[in-house]
Amino acid sequence: MLPQFIVTGLTIGSIYGLVALGFAVIYKATHVFNFAQGMLMVCGAYLAFTATSQLALPFPLALLFVLVAAATLGVVIQFLFIRPLSGQPLLPVIMITIAVSIILKALIEIIYGVSPRPLSTPLPSGVLIIGSVRLSLLHVTAAVTSWVCMIGFFAFFRFTKLGLLMRATADSHEAAILSGVSVHRINAVAWAIGTTLAVIGGVFLGQMQLASVELEHIGLLALPAVVIGGLQSIPGAIFGGLLVGLIEQLASGYISPKARDIFIYIPLLLLLLVRPWGVFGTKEQGRV
Amino acid sequence: MSEATGIAEKADLGGTTRRRNAGWLRWLGYAVGAAVLIYLPFVLAERAIFGWRLTNMQLLNVGLAQMNLTLIAIMGAVSLNYLTGCAGLVSIGHAAFFAVGAMAAAATGVQLGLPFAAALVAAVIAGALAGVLAGLPSLRVRGLYFVLSTMALHFIVVFLFSEYQYAAHNVIGITFPEADFFGFALNSSLRWYFFLLPIVVVVCILFRNTLKRREGRAMLAMRDNELAASSAGIDVRVLRLKAFALSSAIAALAGALQAYFLTTVSTELYSLNLAIQFIAMIIIGGMGSVAGGVVGALFWLLIPSVLSGFAAEFSGAGHPIAKIIVESRPQVVNLIFGVLVALILIFAPAGIVGGARTLRRWIAARFARERRS
Repeated sequence: MLPQFIVTGLTIGSIYGLVALGFAVIYKATHVFNFAQGMLMVCGAYLAFTATSQLALPFPLALLFVLVAAATLGVVIQFLFIRPLSGQPLLPVIMITIAVSIILKALIEIIYGVSPRPLSTPLPSGVLIIGSVRLSLLHVTAAVTSWVCMIGFFAFFRFTKLGLLMRATADSHEAAILSGVSVHRINAVAWAIGTTLAVIGGVFLGQMQLASVELEHIGLLALPAVVIGGLQSIPGAIFGGLLVGLIEQLASGYISPKARDIFIYIPLLLLLLVRPWGVFGTKEQGRV
Repeated sequence: MSEATGIAEKADLGGTTRRRNAGWLRWLGYAVGAAVLIYLPFVLAERAIFGWRLTNMQLLNVGLAQMNLTLIAIMGAVSLNYLTGCAGLVSIGHAAFFAVGAMAAAATGVQLGLPFAAALVAAVIAGALAGVLAGLPSLRVRGLYFVLSTMALHFIVVFLFSEYQYAAHNVIGITFPEADFFGFALNSSLRWYFFLLPIVVVVCILFRNTLKRREGRAMLAMRDNELAASSAGIDVRVLRLKAFALSSAIAALAGALQAYFLTTVSTELYSLNLAIQFIAMIIIGGMGSVAGGVVGALFWLLIPSVLSGFAAEFSGAGHPIAKIIVESRPQVVNLIFGVLVALILIFAPAGIVGGARTLRRWIAARFARERRS
């Protein structure tokens, strides 16, 4: 049983890592702790439903539709809600992301109804059997896609001009503004990327289960993931995602599905007490 | 904001005659307020005022049971506002303290069969203890990390609650007996109202007086600048734990009362959503004042009923918007709240109470200028 749990945990964990990465990008660039990340993921599942079932688009077009819609959603949220509050203290900013998630949830339930919708994307659905381990092809595709996205994002962050501007903005807002960087535009890009990453994760989770607002609970697991890894650290977010996926599978496999939250949040609490800046993060200094 | 109010209060110290006048007016205001609060439940129960029949819409579609739930929510909102608005500790674990209160009441009032009053005392004690435990991370972590520790705490408490519920009670939930406060049987909404109202008033006065005393001032200083406060000789660690203990004791009391009022509670009630609702209430009402918590809770419970009243009014005419409201009322309510919270955060960060204060000061300044010229 153990290898099965580990493999499933790592593949699911890759999706969490992807969602957590989107989260870390937004946090790093705009210092907004985005509680709406779970709901953005849910949006992904419903966007896929609209593209494949309602509009009946062919798969490549559907993919394009989902990605463009996701990026637009991110930019719109940043423009309408986040931008007016830039530079505000912690609570208003956290609360506005919660408000965004309440609004998105209400809109989804008004548009699509409250009952879950099944996704019918042509993503592979077979099962690979290697030794004693059953490996669903969907999980493998999800993991591979997640890793491709993560590597792609890494390259973007490292080697492109926009990536450089984003790193500069994350480093120091003031210095970036002085050097002529349009911080608002960079923030919009960060939100577009963060939303798109969450949405990709949402498409896979929606295909594995059903498209419903209940997925938000799973999406919220990206929060402990990103904090365990270290809020400022991008490899940390991926590591945290994998760890949370593993813990989740082991806890629900060996103990009970209900025990899952406990085994994720107790380590989180302990880590916060001992090393609040996370495994990979850097300590933030308090200043007067 | 706190600085501005401080200056305004100092400016007030000069006009003694105006102050005496204001004092007299204030007592009149208190008397009128008390009379309204005492007469209100009869209006809501009989749907009539001094013999005049009122339509459902004129009463904003509000019932007495809803009023009682509002009173309980006020306790939750005011205690969270003390913690978040006044002590500056952002907590998304407030629903957990409601769960702690309900659990303590279930253990003493249901399992041990102790009287209602003893169950309430147990809830307060359990809440204070849980609050100190929950406040411990605040000694070490700040800001965002502290918010996350309260969230972790929420999930841990909810897990414990569900384990307790399944082990000691049943799947449906914990069923509470009829509350009986020293012979005053709480068997009707009217009786519940007159039991809850004094408690809420006492709680509000308690928080208000705490804020006016030395400790409250110290807490506001801690919120505004922690380093400055501690260098002025304030022990911020003890102050934090005290704030947590007081706030969560009241929240646990509200949780126990809610459990007895609803008669059956289960683990689903104490979702992260409930905690978020309390935060939304204090943002709508206004952070850092008792009135903010009260106004926020009133708003939160009035809007859904007003909305459904309107929908019932318009649905006969076949209006398309009314159709959406009737079909998915909870979603429309959530949408309105989400938008309201966002608008208030962007345009009126001090909430309704803060906005009203600014308006009053503006009008007063206007009048003063006219009198001078």
